[in-house]
Amino acid sequence: MSLLEVRDLRVAYGAIEAIKGISLDVEEGQVVTLIGTNGAGKTTTLRTLSGLLKPLAGEVTFDGKRLDSMKAHDIVKQGVAHSPEGRRIFPLMTVEENLELGAYSRKGGTTGEDVASVFTRFPRLEERRAQKAGTLSGGEQQMLAIGRALMSRPRMLMLDEPSMGLSPIMIQLIFETIAELKAAGTTILLVEQNASAALALADVGYVLETGRVVLSGPGKDLLKDDKVRKAYLGED
Amino acid sequence: MTSQTIPEARVRSAPDLGVLLTGAGALLLVGSALLPWAGYAGFPGKMTLSGYPGGARLYVLLLALPALALLRPLPGRAAALRAAANVELAVVALTVYFVAYAGGGFVNVGGGVYPAMIGAILYLVGSRRLPTSEAVAEGVALPDASWRFPVESLVVAGTAGLALWLFVIGLGMPSSSIASGSDLTLGPLSINDVANSGQFLAYVITIAGVALVAGRLGLLKSLTIMTGRHPKLFVAAGFIAAAAFPFTQNGSGESLSIAARIGVFAAAAVGLNIVVGLAGLLDLGYIAFFGVGAYFGALVSGSVTSVTGVHLPFALTIVLGGLVSGIFGLLLGAPTLRLRGDYLAIVTLGFGEIFRITVNNLDGSAGPSLTNGPNGVSNIPDLALGSFNFGANHTLFGIDLSFQSNYYWLELLLLAFVMTSFLRLSESRIGRAWVAIREDELAAAATGINTTRLKLLAFALGATLAGAAGTVNAHVVKVAAPDSFTFIESATLLAAIILGGMGTVPGALLGATVLYLLPEKLRFLHDLRLLVFGIALVLIMRFRPEGLVASKRRAREFHDHETDPAAEAVA
Amino acid sequence: MDVFFQQLVNAIVLGATYGLVALGYTMVYGIVQLINFAHGEIYMLGGFGALTTYLALPSGTPAGISLPLMLVGGIAVSVTAAVIMERFAYRPLRSAPRLAPLITAIGVSVFLQELVRNFYPHARSARNFPQLVNPDYQIRLGSNVQISAPQLLTVTVALVGMVTLSTFVRRSRTGRAMQATAQDPDTARLMGIDTDRIIVTAFVLGAALAALAGVSSGLQFGQVDFHMGFITGVKAFTAAVLGGIGNISGAVLGGFILGLVEVMATQYAPDPFSGGAWKDAWSFVVLIIVLVFRPTGLLGERVAARA
Repeated sequence: MSLLEVRDLRVAYGAIEAIKGISLDVEEGQVVTLIGTNGAGKTTTLRTLSGLLKPLAGEVTFDGKRLDSMKAHDIVKQGVAHSPEGRRIFPLMTVEENLELGAYSRKGGTTGEDVASVFTRFPRLEERRAQKAGTLSGGEQQMLAIGRALMSRPRMLMLDEPSMGLSPIMIQLIFETIAELKAAGTTILLVEQNASAALALADVGYVLETGRVVLSGPGKDLLKDDKVRKAYLGED
Repeated sequence: MTSQTIPEARVRSAPDLGVLLTGAGALLLVGSALLPWAGYAGFPGKMTLSGYPGGARLYVLLLALPALALLRPLPGRAAALRAAANVELAVVALTVYFVAYAGGGFVNVGGGVYPAMIGAILYLVGSRRLPTSEAVAEGVALPDASWRFPVESLVVAGTAGLALWLFVIGLGMPSSSIASGSDLTLGPLSINDVANSGQFLAYVITIAGVALVAGRLGLLKSLTIMTGRHPKLFVAAGFIAAAAFPFTQNGSGESLSIAARIGVFAAAAVGLNIVVGLAGLLDLGYIAFFGVGAYFGALVSGSVTSVTGVHLPFALTIVLGGLVSGIFGLLLGAPTLRLRGDYLAIVTLGFGEIFRITVNNLDGSAGPSLTNGPNGVSNIPDLALGSFNFGANHTLFGIDLSFQSNYYWLELLLLAFVMTSFLRLSESRIGRAWVAIREDELAAAATGINTTRLKLLAFALGATLAGAAGTVNAHVVKVAAPDSFTFIESATLLAAIILGGMGTVPGALLGATVLYLLPEKLRFLHDLRLLVFGIALVLIMRFRPEGLVASKRRAREFHDHETDPAAEAVA
Repeated sequence: MDVFFQQLVNAIVLGATYGLVALGYTMVYGIVQLINFAHGEIYMLGGFGALTTYLALPSGTPAGISLPLMLVGGIAVSVTAAVIMERFAYRPLRSAPRLAPLITAIGVSVFLQELVRNFYPHARSARNFPQLVNPDYQIRLGSNVQISAPQLLTVTVALVGMVTLSTFVRRSRTGRAMQATAQDPDTARLMGIDTDRIIVTAFVLGAALAALAGVSSGLQFGQVDFHMGFITGVKAFTAAVLGGIGNISGAVLGGFILGLVEVMATQYAPDPFSGGAWKDAWSFVVLIIVLVFRPTGLLGERVAARA
């Protein structure tokens, strides 16, 4: 049994159905990526998995537990962390306060160790620990968003467009971080526009088009697939 | 409203148990309408006569008539009968309660009450067992034939007339005034007061019920199609019928005076609808602009209590009153309209309070002498246009008309003017720009709309119309005093357009009528009126936030949210 | 000069009341962007709750016992009303357009006033409030400057309440969660924060502080009435907006400024615009002026930038 199982998930905004029946699996320790154009339903899928949206139909099972009717704050407690699109750090709080909030779902216990490990991973954040998060650069905010998601000690990390709007150097750094996390055995569900980098990292990839999975398979295979190369990697 | 699935075979096997029960209930109800309901004299509407359906029994009869639909399986039939049965039960229960209350106990009810109660219950139970079909009744569009125009015209004009006629009947129902100064809720009311209130309530519920049944059977949709094709005819017919109203009053002025006040209130509501409904500016102090007009009108009316001693011609007074109020709107709006919605709300509320406090204080001791303080400017003389005195009774076409008809017609003109302004504006380029600002100010600004100037225009126009309505009102009620311009008045106006449906003229008219007439007629609520008002606001927002008459766009906006998972997620 | 200092004392006392009530507006607005118009009525209910508690106690109960019990009773009534109101009037409307909850709030406000007026015994006119803290007991602050015991109590209660609240919001786990919810409700949920519970908490805290204000104004003026919430509520909201809505220090600052404006204008405004008859008008004039020059209030607003 996979860690995360999604079966025939359907989600609608009002009368408009954004997800028209998606099924996918994430095994423990895998990196799985969802790629697709704008409006394909990638972000909607993640928001539904983390409970921000309510599905119309379908099942979401995580480690044997049904998530589809659970509230967002309870889903976090099951070990699903979601670093949202656009980073969404708390701008009026300091870097350290943002990280502490990441551990909110773990009642009690110390967070010092986790904060220290985030700082080891992202030394830039340690330099700015007392700074208001709203004053950080885009790349630093992305580090903070990932670090904050790690604070809950998740069993699965969902990253939504972590490279969006960043400089090439920053993008490289973020993908290196994801590779390190993968090497450390973290289960990751990654949504990316940067399909080549994402597929290169991923054990499994799913290609979404207008709310449906049109193609799936090992990341390396998708990378070689003609259709994928044409449509998402910009090659002729 | 759960649609039960019934096996195909049972639907066909007639007569169905639901049909039988409903039919039996309806027959009992018809029978009960012919028997006396009150065992004593005095309840309004000839409730003691047998063989004659008077008073509330007429409503019972009317609500049993949809059972005729049992004879043919019309689309929407089950839904319509369920609605009819719900309302029927409410009317029967209410009427029995009031008959028993006014008669001093249940022992004094008449023989018709028993079959009525049994019939209403059978009707309800039966209608719930009727086979429901998936088909929803659609509106019927008449074929494009030569007879379509005359038929439609007749229907459209008839509808306008019927609506007004129903309104007039409601208006004409007696409502005795109450003794004041008592702490008790029902204590000071006579049997007549209670009975009148009960009959009025039954009347209103019945009309609502008939409208509901007509809607379920698709009649309202057909009507909307027809009126939509002849909007001008509809409006014209409405106004002609309204203008003819005084001729039906046999020289009495009571109903006319209430109608005139409703008209002024409705005019103010339509004006506020420009500001809130079209431009989306939340104004919590609108009554102050109405007050500016009222005080201006009072001060230049030649009243002996006016310190100015000026007496301007009334036509000029209306124009100037509107202008002065509009200038106040500009003065307040220019610096504050850049503020976000909620800030504007609190600023307008503050302005409303400043206005009330100011007119309360300009009495010569706490401030300059201008408004006579709490007493206000009173004894406003009757209007005179040339030799025509508004304060005198007249005879026209051999029919006696009380002096109130003059003010009623004046108010009707005002209402026509305000409604025309609203409709012209809402269909203009400006109106579309307002709607754009209301929906998304940033996007509107990005398309080149000068949002600040247009918001100011909406604010000032709203203020101008309120000012004009205020000057008229001062002459109708003959006094301008501070306690008529409190926050609760602003809130009531706002509630009127929200209850009726924002951004529509019929909505504002309906909301204003309901909110003005209900407290006027429901004397039995006495001190609980405001309490009920508060609960009503909460419930309306909970269950029908788009109002009774929703503009199509508005209904979409409101109801999309209910199924929008993104919106739910924010919650 | 003594007049000035005496008025300063009065201004601080009045400002403390406004500040206490303003905190409730600002917390709720900061989190759900709702002008909780009925918050003034929550303040009023605090006064009536305390009065009810007092009447339930055996006569002759020493003030040292009855006063704390009255505070508890007042808070209990206000908090209960606020929780019910949030649950049944506001929560169902959380995804509705902005205008809908505002109308609901006006409805709740009218309803609560009328409820007390019609069903609280003899509440159609003002009801006497027990004078537990002897108003004649004056503390001299200067030759002709003094503060009465109820006034001192008001200021003390307000300061303790404000400091406690601000520490709570800044230091406690729940306080952090409140800040997070105010800044970005969706992301707060992703952190595992139960935002529904946080919203209720904001209503509860606001109601408790408003109840404190209600009881202390009862003690100061020796009466409570069903209508007392309206003008105080409007003023307190004005104070919150003045300071920058959503901003806790702003609400307190706004409260004191409003108190100062009102008291000083009453004393020093040019004739004939001085005196009690004009004091409410002055508050609104100041509000309009401040908003024209600082559209987000003196200390800036802190509300979620909703997508």
